[in-house]
Amino acid sequence: MDTIYIVGLVVVLALFFDFTNGFHDTANAMATPIATGAMKPRTAVAVASVMNLAGAFLSTAVATMISVGMVNDATTLKPEIVFAGLTGAILWNLTTWFLGLPSSSSHALFGGLIGAVAAAAGFGAINLDSILQKIIYPALFAPVIAGLAAWLATRLAYAITARSTDDDLATGRNRFRYGQIFSSSLVALSHGTNDAQKTMGVITLVLVAGGLQKDGSHVELWVVLAAALVIALGTFSGGWRIIKTMGKGLAEVKPAQGLAAEVATAATILASSKLGFALSTTQVASGSIIGSGLGRSGGKVRWNKAGQVVLGWVFTLPAAAIVGAISTALVLAGPAGLIIDAVVTVGVIIAIFQISRRNAVTHHSVSSEIEEASEVVESAKQRKAAAKAAAKSGKAKK
Amino acid sequence: MFTPINWTNLFSVAGAAIVGSLAVVLLFSVGVRLLVNADHAKAKASKGDVKALRAEAANRAGSYALFALSFGAVIYGILLIIPNVIPSVK
Repeated sequence: MDTIYIVGLVVVLALFFDFTNGFHDTANAMATPIATGAMKPRTAVAVASVMNLAGAFLSTAVATMISVGMVNDATTLKPEIVFAGLTGAILWNLTTWFLGLPSSSSHALFGGLIGAVAAAAGFGAINLDSILQKIIYPALFAPVIAGLAAWLATRLAYAITARSTDDDLATGRNRFRYGQIFSSSLVALSHGTNDAQKTMGVITLVLVAGGLQKDGSHVELWVVLAAALVIALGTFSGGWRIIKTMGKGLAEVKPAQGLAAEVATAATILASSKLGFALSTTQVASGSIIGSGLGRSGGKVRWNKAGQVVLGWVFTLPAAAIVGAISTALVLAGPAGLIIDAVVTVGVIIAIFQISRRNAVTHHSVSSEIEEASEVVESAKQRKAAAKAAAKSGKAKK
Repeated sequence: MFTPINWTNLFSVAGAAIVGSLAVVLLFSVGVRLLVNADHAKAKASKGDVKALRAEAANRAGSYALFALSFGAVIYGILLIIPNVIPSVK
């Protein structure tokens, strides 16, 4: 098949991936300000989408990390391999989304690409050092860093606004809601600096592989524009999900705590984007929400819930790598294999879209990972309520 | 086979994230605190305390200044990550 068609197909699929990423992650940035009433849902969604657009233009460090850093020599790569990796990532992502399993779209993308390249050209073709330094180690440390920053920031905010002993005035902590308008916008901006870049990186990678660009050290302007616009569009379309789930899981997150968590998330992602760390923004935001929950007095970790969240993170990359490797085997078998891979991917996309439209929207398919993560921490109030309920049912039995 | 972790990079992310978040949250929180103080003073002033009127104005002005500083800190942080805007940071 003509190289140009495959390159075109990859560009379209990569932009589709970009769209779903924005769609999926709107809630990460905007669920808290909507839940606390700081912003109207419509305004929040519009702001998030504009901030994503702006963020995509700030830096291309993460994009070049993918186009240069992941593969030892991208010019020897066939565009079919990038296609196989991308379809593997999309298949894994949609299936886990449909089944309600925790996953990270960023790690699905890296896993799919790594698996595809390894299956086609062996492990020697992969730049292991760069992948460890820019993807794996940051994946381990960034959520912890964000959690620590959020924990410290929450303690600081509560200490400064604590009631002094001689007055009975309100602490004014509700005023943090207004700060959240800015902090959540900042999260949306940082999302653009990291997640939109991943799409740019994949498109640049396939342009190099297809011989349409000399090397991956820079990103073409049209690629930046396309990725930025599509992620903004996806973010905007994702708005309806927030309106359905708002306040369900995040009711426990108080404004001061939410602000601290969002500032920590944004700071961690922005600093990482600067160094070209390709992160899962969802994992960083989850680390922050857990850290800030523990920063409030009496917060306790629900370890089984924490285990579930982390397990989903660990599995995504290797699982997507296997799917990526399988689709590579298919694609390398000949043009028929490539067509089968394309048909399966498009078929799954359409089928899941149809099913999710027909079925009533269930909580698991619309709730964000951040809400899941917020359930990891049990607040003092929740514990009291649980103890009360237990005592009541105990009495009732007697 | 496994290359050692590049601690310098990770520590610089950790340092930037922690210092950045604490600075922004510190400025904003003190701003909130001063705003509460201003309300407190206003309540006193309404009871006829003339001195409290001045205290209210001072606290309110201080809190707005801190909110502005907090916003400024965020903008500075964003400028840091754009290549070539602030030349000292590569």
